[in-house]
Amino acid sequence: MTAGVALTLTVNGREVSAAAAAHLTLLRWLRDVAGVTDPKYGCGEGICGSCTVLVDGQPVSSCLVLAAQVDGATVTTAAGLLEADGSLGPLQRAFHEKHAAQCGFCTPGMLIAAAAALADGRRRSRPEIREELHGNLCRCTGYGPIVDAIEMAQEEAGR
Amino acid sequence: MTGEGAEAAKGAKGARPDALAGIRTSKRDELRVVGQPLPRHDQAEKVAGSTRYAGDLAFASMLHARLVRSPVPSARITARDASAALAVPGVVSVLFGEDVPRNVIWVDVPGQTVEVAALKASMEVLATDRVRFHGEPVALVIADNQDALAEACDLVAVDYEELPAVFEPDQALADGAPAVHAEGNLLSEWDIDHGDVDAAFAAADVVVEGSYQTQTVDHAYLEPEAGVGWLDDDGVLNLRVATQVVEHYRDVARILGIPEARVRVIAPYVGGGFGGKEDMTVEPYLGLAVWRTRRPVRMQWTRQESLLARPKRHRMRLRYRTAATREGKLLGQEVDITADSGAYAYLSALVLLYSAVHACGPYQVSNVRLRARCAYTNNPPTSAFRGFGGMQVVFGYEAQMDLLARELGLAPAEIRKRNALARGDVLPVGQAIETEVLLAQTIDAVLGRAGGKPRASGPRKVVGRGLACNIQSYGRLVWLNDSAAAWVGFQLDGSLSVRCAVPDIGGGQASSLAQIAAEILAVPMDQITVHFGDSALNPLAGTTTATRQLLMSGNAVYAACVLLREGVLAAVAAATGEPADSLRLEEGRISGPAAGMRLQDALLACRKRNVPIEALGTFFGPKGRPVVKGLHADRVFPDFTFGTHLCDLEVDLDTGQVKLLGYVAAHDAGRAINPRSVQGQITGAVAQGLGMALLEEVVVADGMNQTGGFFQYLIPTATDVPEIDAVVLESGEGMGPFGARGIGEPPIGPPAAAVASAIQDALGARPARLPMTPERVLECVGGHQRLTPAAG
Amino acid sequence: MFTRPFQFERADQLADACELLRRHGEGAKVIAGGQSLMPLVNLGLVQPEVVIDISRADAGRHVTLVDGYLAVGALMTHARLAADRLAAEAQPLLGAAARKIGNARVRGRGTLGGSLAHSDPAAELPLVLVALGATYEITDGRRSREAKAEEFHLGFLTPQLADDELVVAVRVPRLGPGWGWSFQEVSRRDGDFALAAAAVLVRIAGGVIVESRVAVGGVSDRPLRLADAEIALTGATVSQIGDRIGPIQGIRPVSDTGASAGYRAHLCRVLVTRALAEAGSRSEEAA
Repeated sequence: MTAGVALTLTVNGREVSAAAAAHLTLLRWLRDVAGVTDPKYGCGEGICGSCTVLVDGQPVSSCLVLAAQVDGATVTTAAGLLEADGSLGPLQRAFHEKHAAQCGFCTPGMLIAAAAALADGRRRSRPEIREELHGNLCRCTGYGPIVDAIEMAQEEAGR
Repeated sequence: MTGEGAEAAKGAKGARPDALAGIRTSKRDELRVVGQPLPRHDQAEKVAGSTRYAGDLAFASMLHARLVRSPVPSARITARDASAALAVPGVVSVLFGEDVPRNVIWVDVPGQTVEVAALKASMEVLATDRVRFHGEPVALVIADNQDALAEACDLVAVDYEELPAVFEPDQALADGAPAVHAEGNLLSEWDIDHGDVDAAFAAADVVVEGSYQTQTVDHAYLEPEAGVGWLDDDGVLNLRVATQVVEHYRDVARILGIPEARVRVIAPYVGGGFGGKEDMTVEPYLGLAVWRTRRPVRMQWTRQESLLARPKRHRMRLRYRTAATREGKLLGQEVDITADSGAYAYLSALVLLYSAVHACGPYQVSNVRLRARCAYTNNPPTSAFRGFGGMQVVFGYEAQMDLLARELGLAPAEIRKRNALARGDVLPVGQAIETEVLLAQTIDAVLGRAGGKPRASGPRKVVGRGLACNIQSYGRLVWLNDSAAAWVGFQLDGSLSVRCAVPDIGGGQASSLAQIAAEILAVPMDQITVHFGDSALNPLAGTTTATRQLLMSGNAVYAACVLLREGVLAAVAAATGEPADSLRLEEGRISGPAAGMRLQDALLACRKRNVPIEALGTFFGPKGRPVVKGLHADRVFPDFTFGTHLCDLEVDLDTGQVKLLGYVAAHDAGRAINPRSVQGQITGAVAQGLGMALLEEVVVADGMNQTGGFFQYLIPTATDVPEIDAVVLESGEGMGPFGARGIGEPPIGPPAAAVASAIQDALGARPARLPMTPERVLECVGGHQRLTPAAG
Repeated sequence: MFTRPFQFERADQLADACELLRRHGEGAKVIAGGQSLMPLVNLGLVQPEVVIDISRADAGRHVTLVDGYLAVGALMTHARLAADRLAAEAQPLLGAAARKIGNARVRGRGTLGGSLAHSDPAAELPLVLVALGATYEITDGRRSREAKAEEFHLGFLTPQLADDELVVAVRVPRLGPGWGWSFQEVSRRDGDFALAAAAVLVRIAGGVIVESRVAVGGVSDRPLRLADAEIALTGATVSQIGDRIGPIQGIRPVSDTGASAGYRAHLCRVLVTRALAEAGSRSEEAA
């Protein structure tokens, strides 16, 4: 094994210091080293979106980022959207209510993509929501229920 | 066209088939839980990110396994050398076919001998002498870290001497073709001869012909194949894998030469299946690795490996000749189907059988001649995929209906209604339709909700509206003696445990069982736990395939709950002196005309009287005789689901690009246990069908799979899929619990046909080949519509 | 997933990265956003020995005005370029192309310098920069040089860059008075690689085309400037565009799993025509 790179990242509010081989992607570091398994491996090409996490507030394909590139960064995964008491956050509650998850494999990435899109507080139409999501693939729902959930979350945030 | 709705249909109830004797159904307005769009319990964990899929579990000192695969489509293996690979530090083992105790997986090919015995086809777990497709597994490498694994896989030296190969079914079936298998390239054939086809064509006022070609498609579930295996404290081989079938423990046991009782398969929540996880994926390799090393092992396929080597949807050539009267009544169908089975049989014979049985669509036609065949080639193998052969033929039979409609000047909806099957009609294979058919109602539903056709957005755009209907079976082929079992038991505090080995692949298979139990036993949903997907600890419920689980495990849970309710009410009756049929089971209590009893006390009363507070329910599917090559049977499937889709789209006359403007899909679900789940199955299946219609193709050239990743295999995104209005009709006449029909597969059939129908409406011609790329659509743009010369 | 191990080096200055490239030789690759390199690495198509990270280097990530030109730093991400107000006002073709790239994740990390160094024939930014006659500023850490966009993109994934050179910045002419612009693309799905694309600038005066710049992408091994078409268009009215264009010369489209060569050639003509029409009406509005 090649020499490890010392890394410290804040993942979902928790500081994690763990060395990793230089060639480890952020996805593999999160899953295999930090034990955070909600971002998923879906393609390795940055296309499916199942590995989407926030790095310093920005959505990235964690399979295309080397962990070493983001030493010191703050990472948020879907699990990081939970409330402090472990209950579902507002976006997660909306997904749950609108049946926006079937097999659920795309869901963690989809939630982060949605959270990133909604961060600016702007009200989006359904076609605009679809544009925000078009980089996250889902094979089960046909996307309609996911758009429903984001619309609902927008409504509630607006109140 | 946005918004959703469910409409109850008025339908006369007829006689129920024997398989359901003793199972009662309830009127819709008496149901409290069934029929409610409740959030599913599994979804809470999924949105929290805490669900652990097959690839999410890790063990200390876990090994990693990976396959070495053939880089060529047809070759003799002349040498294999693992020495360089074994020299890599961290590599534990390199296994070849000779290291597999029984290096064979058998598949039945039914109905192909005169004596009605199954032909058997086989493939090796690891190829020893010959490879037959690009990607065939040849060696299994096991290492204690992924880096060593990657390096070692590149160092396994295999020499191949390429052999002649064949890549087209027609060529494979011609004399002198290279033999993919020793017994010849014809894998399976089915014939249907119904009525007098020649007389029908002679008497016809109109005959339309068409030839259609569907393509090779990949399941493209978001979760690539994965699993972990380990030996537990009793030395039982445990495999926790992404699978649709826990019963593969038997196949793994056979391969390893150990008793079936020593293997356990656990299916966690699966990240999509669609038939692609119906055959074994990682199971035999994980089993082998664990058995050899006695250590936990994980296997994770890459997406590229999945696209390369997983069995695909059969590409088919469909030839139709359809005869009709001037009024549009179908007189006869002549159908010819050729399918590409790829290098190994898998489930091809059954897929072809489904195509044959469904080939004439949801229409009454008394005279049919059908010939179907599938051939081995050196292409990637093909097997189960949502719709399972009943899906490809929709593209053919619906095109014929539109051609007829145009010839006769009839509206597409009208010609379909004139020919729609009804209860009592007999399918060309010989099976009578026993339940109500709401096809006309689904046609009216989509037309009603679609509203007016949209206007084109510019001078070089044209809008079209298309319609497509389909029929799709639910439940397995009846001669497979299908059954499912479920155990339901009260805890002493009144909460409920359900144990059923059903795999949950995202369609709410487990939560449906909870909803059924909640309805019958009046236990709140949050007090019910469903233990699913474990072949050792749960009663077996069979495969999550063939749109069978609601019918099978749903009815098993129903039966167990009914038994349980009867026992508890009888015990309370004995304890209180009130007649059992005056007692009602409500949340937390049993109520009677005089007084009531808390549920906990009732359960204690049961214990005092030796009345069980748990029950095992088993549901046996309808039975039938095995079929022969000349298909004719009173019953092939338990029952069918009918539906209609409508599609509005706009074509760009200069580029051929298609923009989907709107979509309505209506199906008779019998009874929607959870209407939101049913709508989710419809919208998901439509999206997958649209992918096949417009975008997806696994490109294989001279046996080499060219599709190297998601950058080439294009599945629909949120901007490719329009708003889908999913309409659920409920005839109440399905064979599932409360009159439910299966819904998982049916909605994937119509989309390609609906899109083609809309393109024909827009341009006057439709592509006959899938996918309907902009290039193929451009070819349909008539000369008068062209601005510039057609592409050369 | 089964990536072969490599070393990681971080460069805080682009000049340091060049020095590291020289030191490590052929087995070294530079990574910024990783949107081009990492898919190749993950699929095993590229196996570097050393990866040199410049994603946090002290280098230009802005758009500024210098001597009447727009200067864009190589580490400018597509997302920031798409949203940049100065770029939108001074040269709208840049943002129009950037917005078509991939999805939010790709745009958030992918850089201008990365796209240019990758030199994919269907990529949006190289096409637009060829149309604009942009100039690339290139360094090897010791010396700087300039290259015209048209000369830089030599062929399929082949930039005119030595092994130890990096693009530092791009100099782009402003949209002049009276000019109109258009960017047209056809892809199978939103954000996919273009099957064909056209970037056009046109100045109409007195009802006729006085000058134009026409470039197409996805129909050869690099973006092509259609000099012959530009000559043929001079003096044409908007309604005469179709006749003047004729068959597009000099393109060599390929057939692949995305589309056939013939269809790409057809699209090329359609998109050039559409782009000229749109650029023409913008020019007339600007006058």
